[in-house]
Amino acid sequence: MEEKEIIKRAQSGDRKALANLVKIHEQTIYNFAFKICRDKDKAENIMQETFYSMVKSLHQFDGKSKLSTWLFRIVSNHCLMLARKIKNRPFVSLEDDENIFEEKYAVDWSTLPNKIAENEELKIILDNAIKKLTPDYRMIFLLRDVEGFSTEKTGEIANLSVPAVKSRLHRARAFLRNELSKSLQ
Amino acid sequence: MNEKTVTCKEVMNYICESLGEDLNSEKCITIKDHLDECLDCKSYYETVEITIDCYRKYNVKMSKDAHKRLMKFLDLDDCD
Ligand SMILES: [Zn+2]
Repeated sequence: MEEKEIIKRAQSGDRKALANLVKIHEQTIYNFAFKICRDKDKAENIMQETFYSMVKSLHQFDGKSKLSTWLFRIVSNHCLMLARKIKNRPFVSLEDDENIFEEKYAVDWSTLPNKIAENEELKIILDNAIKKLTPDYRMIFLLRDVEGFSTEKTGEIANLSVPAVKSRLHRARAFLRNELSKSLQ
Repeated sequence: MNEKTVTCKEVMNYICESLGEDLNSEKCITIKDHLDECLDCKSYYETVEITIDCYRKYNVKMSKDAHKRLMKFLDLDDCD
């Protein structure tokens, strides 16, 4: 059955269809929530809230965008709400990026991506680097570069203009790359 | 920006700005030419791409228990 049909059934009160929609998207949403907060308990909590919102407001879903895009919008909102509750976290300033351009390239980077599955140390490095970004920067980087949404779609999901997406993306990319480089030296 | 005045810093900025975008402008040609010649910028470009790739490949799997808790939370556990 096509997803459109499942959505229609769920909207007309078919609970099995509703459960089906949850099952189709739960892994993606959980993974994304984890990538934002880098914590499994928080990710589970955000995922639960996201699907709770979906169940509550599915009748408003008009099918103009994909359900997954709609869910990404909800999960992004929940991530930002959670982040606002955690006050006084010292996020790194992205204003001074001069030092990004002054370094040596001593490390062999090419093998890194294939090591991730089994290398816990590398995972910690990646977690720590992205945690230094404010959640809105994280979100843009993850939506655009990791999930592969277009710049326009990313702006739509995150409620930001295209130039705002681009400037955040630019800084997030440079910052993460720089952090990774520092940790590998 | 023309070929004579493009600096490494400009190129590096441009890389971070435009990765994944449609690269057809005149500026891009200048940047591509620079990347062919400048080792520093080339490594930088590659390492930005690798950084992104690392985050793409770092995924977590949801546990069966987390799935069960979700269904219960939504009051849909009887439909599971
Ligand atoms: Zn250069």
